Amino acid sequence: MDQRFLDELGAVVAPGGLLTDAADLFTYESDALVHLRATPGAVVLPVSADEVQAVVRLCHRAGVPFVARGHGTGLSGGALPVEDGVVIGLSRLNRILDVDIPNLRVTVEPGVTNLEITRRVSPFGCYYAPDPSSQIVCSIGGNIAENSGGAHCLKYGFTVHHVLGVEAVLPNGDNVHIGGAALDLPGLDLLSVIVGSEGTLAVVTKATLRILRRPEAVLTLLAGFESIDLAGEAVSAIIGRGIVPAAVEMMDRLTIQAAEAAVQPRFPDANAVLIVELDGPQAEVDEQFAVVESVCRAQGATSMEIARDQAHRERIWRGRKAAFAAMGRVSPNYYVQDGVVPRTKLPEVLRRIRDLEARSGLRIGNVFHAGDGNLHPLICYDASVPGQAEHAEKVASEILLYCIEAGGSLTGEHGVGADKKAYMPKMFSTDDLDAMHLVRCAFDPAGLCNPGKVFPTPRLCGEVPGPYRQHPLERAGVVERF
Amino acid sequence: MASSSLDTIAQAAHARWGTPASRAAGPADAILDQLPAVVLEPTTVPMLADMLRWANADKVAVVPRGAGTKLTWGRTPPRIGAVLATTRIDGSIDHCAGDLTATVPAGARLEEVNAALAREGQWLPLDPRLADRATIGGIVATNDSGPRRQKHGTPRDLIIGAEMALVDGRTAKAGGRVVKNVAGYDLARLLCGSFGALAIITRATFKLAPRPPASRTIVASAPQARPLADLALALLSSPLTPAAIELQSRPDRLLLRFETTEAAANQQAAAAEALCGAHGVDASMVSGDAEAAVWREHQADLSSADGTLVRVAVLPAQVGDVLGHAERVAAQHALECRVAGRIALGVVYARIGAGEHTRPSPESLRAAIDALRQNAWARGGSAVVVSVDPAIGHVVDPWGDVGDALPLMRALKARFDPNGILNAGHGPGNI
Repeated sequence: MDQRFLDELGAVVAPGGLLTDAADLFTYESDALVHLRATPGAVVLPVSADEVQAVVRLCHRAGVPFVARGHGTGLSGGALPVEDGVVIGLSRLNRILDVDIPNLRVTVEPGVTNLEITRRVSPFGCYYAPDPSSQIVCSIGGNIAENSGGAHCLKYGFTVHHVLGVEAVLPNGDNVHIGGAALDLPGLDLLSVIVGSEGTLAVVTKATLRILRRPEAVLTLLAGFESIDLAGEAVSAIIGRGIVPAAVEMMDRLTIQAAEAAVQPRFPDANAVLIVELDGPQAEVDEQFAVVESVCRAQGATSMEIARDQAHRERIWRGRKAAFAAMGRVSPNYYVQDGVVPRTKLPEVLRRIRDLEARSGLRIGNVFHAGDGNLHPLICYDASVPGQAEHAEKVASEILLYCIEAGGSLTGEHGVGADKKAYMPKMFSTDDLDAMHLVRCAFDPAGLCNPGKVFPTPRLCGEVPGPYRQHPLERAGVVERF
Repeated sequence: MASSSLDTIAQAAHARWGTPASRAAGPADAILDQLPAVVLEPTTVPMLADMLRWANADKVAVVPRGAGTKLTWGRTPPRIGAVLATTRIDGSIDHCAGDLTATVPAGARLEEVNAALAREGQWLPLDPRLADRATIGGIVATNDSGPRRQKHGTPRDLIIGAEMALVDGRTAKAGGRVVKNVAGYDLARLLCGSFGALAIITRATFKLAPRPPASRTIVASAPQARPLADLALALLSSPLTPAAIELQSRPDRLLLRFETTEAAANQQAAAAEALCGAHGVDASMVSGDAEAAVWREHQADLSSADGTLVRVAVLPAQVGDVLGHAERVAAQHALECRVAGRIALGVVYARIGAGEHTRPSPESLRAAIDALRQNAWARGGSAVVVSVDPAIGHVVDPWGDVGDALPLMRALKARFDPNGILNAGHGPGNI
């Protein structure tokens, strides 16, 4: 990387805010999808929105690609650096700027962790609803980029339903205010594309979020079943009775065993467990719970355990939330997949996954948000066996195709990132992708903001404003101008 | 815009599609006294896309239309070449009850969609103005909603996928048919509230809700609006989960609706009644036919085309002050002004000068809107003119200042609609 450019970067961030040593850069080579790596030319760690803006302006002027990064917990390579580009690490922008309980709003910087918000507003009987499994460490900025979900999406929605406004630096270095604390601000709903844009449209420097009042009552049921199919039928029957639970999670035997070995949630010895959580007014929860209980019994639940207090509930959720990490207890390596199917297609797709498991010779654990059809198959492999990692990756991709064929999606919450961009044409036509690309070009005509993500093939926008300048990706021979 | 006369446009369209897909405009097709050159009523999505391609190539200004219930909202395009209607396009409602989703054609009326979904005990829980006539496409394009927004949100909160026709005649989709999905940019949500300025929505997929088994409404009355605003805030910090918290004006009342199971509806209504008592507000509970009548009347009031309707959005805790301010503004300009709506969300609707005798002068209307707008801006909010009294017409800027993201909105508009044919000047922020 050009020394003069590095000097300029160093001059706009506080001391210690520019990293260029190989050892320092190493940390930033990947996000939580560790098999995709690239070495950035520099990492900047701004402490203010002004510094972010100054860095982006420099990148824009010099035509240097940049990638914003939160806490690096992403599972799709969304924060994978561009080789020799700049990584803007936002972990030092970590202040909660405003807590407004009467209006149920908080305003935070992007480096604040998801759980920190709930912790801060909890004494007031409030919480922040999106709860990705990584919520202890993941950042709000990353949540906004990925439109993160969690276990309670079916009833409470995703990040996009809870972000009311952002301040962001556009790829040309302009600072913009989009949305705000009040609802219905006039103009196009740009927030709806920024949330979930995987860092390809802007760098968010501040966000105003909606918080919720804790429900009057919460009831969590842990039920064991003889098979995933029976547990799945119980879910259908619950929804068929007009109940939308706050969460419905399912785990199979392999993931139950892993969770047990890791965090001892004391799950029953069963082929499948279902966690059903109801929340709301006491009377509603009581009435609906009676229905849920009878449905589970009718579907042959082998055990039922009801958590009525916080500690008990936390123990059950610990088992579920630790499921990914826990796989390390039963397999040397594993590949986490994220796909979605219409809920009613779950049995069909799970059957295909079981056949694939038998055919591939790799064990596949299944954890899923059963209420919304979001599957997280965990493909176990041993990286020390030559070829097995590649085999696992192929198996994981095949599961994605099952999801798309069933009318679902190739990602429910982990994002497309660098990992799944090649699969986008399986789900979207060229025209669909072209329409999305119009948004990309409106925000980032020069293609410098997290390039190489989401879209299957790198492409340029044409009519880049200003004098013609060879794009860095063109220079590298990665893309052609058309 | 093209220099071709309205006649030329009509002839070109007739020659291509003939009747009935292309027809001359009648008085019912006029928008604020402007008559389009031609009315296009395609019967298929490819035909609609083809019409759009033609309009784009010939630079014919297009106004997309569903039932036509909201065409006077915002500013009318300076020229209307063609009205392009979605209502004749064939298409069925694809209801996946087990998945709690439905895919519906843009031209379908919300009422007919909900009648179909009711067969499985589900619904699309939107209750916008003129819900009996409004189409899905129009509701999405304006992101319109009603009292149940308190619990269920707006179309933007419920949409999970959309299909659209682009100006170059191509069709594209975004999102999908599953509730949870983060693949690609969320164009479906971007289209919500876009006023047809980017693309024409042809189909939309929504996440649905089960129909609640029971409903109760508390009618809370007070001599002034202020204690009602305080009550609305108190509700927000209570564990109650109302489906609607609506302010009514003259008489000043709050309508608190609880839609849940039978026992929970009764329990919550009782708790709400107690809360009213604690605030010194009279309350009574209605259910069944009486409840339906209360809401029918309120919806009719919200849907009325009388006067000029201004949406004022601020923080919930600021609504009390905004109500007081609106009253002072009305008095100062000798205007008739009533404020109603989603008080606990901070979104209320001021209806100014309804009725023949109370029609304000253009100057006083403009002054009043400016005053409401300044006051809302100072609080980080906004005041947008939803619909304007046609007799007063264009004296007001419907949107006001859109802020520093306006160039970005214009850039988006330029990418999607480079010739500016789609509802030109009518989109949010006059894009």
